[in-house]
Amino acid sequence: MKILIIEDEPQLAQSISEYLSVENYLCELAATFAEATEKITLYDYDCILLDLMLPGGDGMKILEEIRRQQKQDGVIIISARDSYNDKIKGLQTGADDYLAKPFHLPELAARVYSVIRRRNFNNTNIIQQHELQIDLLARTVNINNKPVILTRKEFNLLLYFMGNANRVISKNALAEHLSGDLADMMNSYDFVYAHIKNLKKKLNEAGCDNYLKTVYGTGYKWEV
Amino acid sequence: MSKLLNRSLKVFILYAAFVLACSIPVYYLIVDYIWKSELDEHNVIIGENIKKRIQSVPMTDVELEQSILLWNKLQPHAQIKSTDRGRPDSIYNIYKKREVTGEMDRFQGLITYFEYNGRYYCLMVETNIEESYETIAVITVITIVFFIILLGGLILLNRNLSKALWQPFYQILEKIRGFSLEKGQKITFDDTGISEFNELNESLDRLIKGNINVYQEQKEFTENVSHELQTPLAIVQSKLDLLLQDRELTTEQYNIINDAQAALGRSARINKTLLLFARIGNGQFADKEPVNLEELVHSNLDLLADFVKEKHLHAETEGLTVTANRLLVEMMVANLLLNAIRHSAADASISITLGNGTLKVANSGSAPLEQKNLFKRFMRAASHTPGTGLGLALVREICQRYGWEITYHFEEGMHVFRVAFS
Repeated sequence: MKILIIEDEPQLAQSISEYLSVENYLCELAATFAEATEKITLYDYDCILLDLMLPGGDGMKILEEIRRQQKQDGVIIISARDSYNDKIKGLQTGADDYLAKPFHLPELAARVYSVIRRRNFNNTNIIQQHELQIDLLARTVNINNKPVILTRKEFNLLLYFMGNANRVISKNALAEHLSGDLADMMNSYDFVYAHIKNLKKKLNEAGCDNYLKTVYGTGYKWEV
Repeated sequence: MSKLLNRSLKVFILYAAFVLACSIPVYYLIVDYIWKSELDEHNVIIGENIKKRIQSVPMTDVELEQSILLWNKLQPHAQIKSTDRGRPDSIYNIYKKREVTGEMDRFQGLITYFEYNGRYYCLMVETNIEESYETIAVITVITIVFFIILLGGLILLNRNLSKALWQPFYQILEKIRGFSLEKGQKITFDDTGISEFNELNESLDRLIKGNINVYQEQKEFTENVSHELQTPLAIVQSKLDLLLQDRELTTEQYNIINDAQAALGRSARINKTLLLFARIGNGQFADKEPVNLEELVHSNLDLLADFVKEKHLHAETEGLTVTANRLLVEMMVANLLLNAIRHSAADASISITLGNGTLKVANSGSAPLEQKNLFKRFMRAASHTPGTGLGLALVREICQRYGWEITYHFEEGMHVFRVAFS
């Protein structure tokens, strides 16, 4: 899987690249508008992470260019511009997702995972991991070919873990994933545990291996 | 408080009264002097005539004696008496009782002397003159009449003048009164044609423009700072996420990273909210649409389902639609609900009432909150609460924008926040 990170902040680009590289992703970096335009014309990527404010031009122009060339690359906008209008405009121009800075890397990884799945498996949008089978389109889960009923949140959580396989996810990242801006609502992260406990229980009862490990007391890791 | 022109009018009137009062004795003295000198002249002419006529008729002493007797009887105002010698003329002023009615009359008199056949005679000519008290009375009456005319005229003129003169002032006042820095609309002052008001206009114009600029710069500064902070925050966030992947991490180190992440998440949220304030202030949420509040309340409650599980929730909603920016209304409702959930104990009760043009969010509590700082930024109920301290400030900001009224009161053990949409 090839990913192009169009981001002018080298530190951030490097972190993203390092985090995503674990999961068989080959990351390329582009720091300027010109560099990015050149790369998208010459190569195809499975997913492009696009910062909107670039030296030399507006990232939105790159997005327009990608769509004009009728490329099938998935695009996730990562921007410090967090206004509703920017979001709408980005999605309307053809971005698959929009993530406002600052974000947790696991969140980005999960989104990249989803976008790549959606792009690459247009017809049979199914993820198979040993006994675990997930239908992304129908949003259903089968274990050993038997359906498991998950709530919307549990389903999202499962995808989130699979998108961050073999990496440690902190309770903060999880809380923010589950509740967005409400993350610091509560003093405790009880609700995070509650959802994870339910998910674990449902998977185990259906005969799924225990992929979801607790690390350092409050962190989690999906081990494959 | 008295109006400016009334104050000057009062002074004018007092001055006019003073001048007019002083004029009464002056007028009297002048009129009396003219009277007297005129009558003295008159008396002299008559005296000279009489003397000339007498001296032109040759008479013996006896004849003269008889003639004088007759003269004195016929002419009581020009008496002739014999005297031992001639003296210089003298004048006098006298009051006499009128014989018929007993009224007092004033006379201006002249005593003059003449010689006839070697004997001296004195001639007293008296002419009726206006009594001095009558003169004073008439002058006083006339002065009062003029004073009344002056008074009436001044008041009338003042009323009309003040309207006309101060018209530009009131226009300026009206414009300033309608001005609000937050709305940011510019004020244009019309040319009044009066230098003082034009000067005032120019100064006000400069002041307002300066303020608008400073305010604008400040807002842009906030927006830019908040914006610029996003990237470094993102870098720190990503580095911490990477650090977590270190295989040699101890649990202790993991916990430190976690705490750092929690604090970082909070600063990111504060930053985001400040950016939001700046954007609202900069009018970036201008578009409006009808927003169904009932739907909004219920969708928010669904989102918050995890947090209200253990609370006693009571929601009573009626259809209510407001025209506003959907995002802002969403934020307002979410923040009110969050506030109620966050600041109530696990088994507390929360009640939401929507209807009659108001949204009421109440949660049980022990003591009333301090009203004064409740809606200020970074004013938290307690230092240990996890919020950003911006929620209620944001609610107020949004309410102010649409002219809605947000109030807080404490009743029957409940903190009640009420938004009146009007």
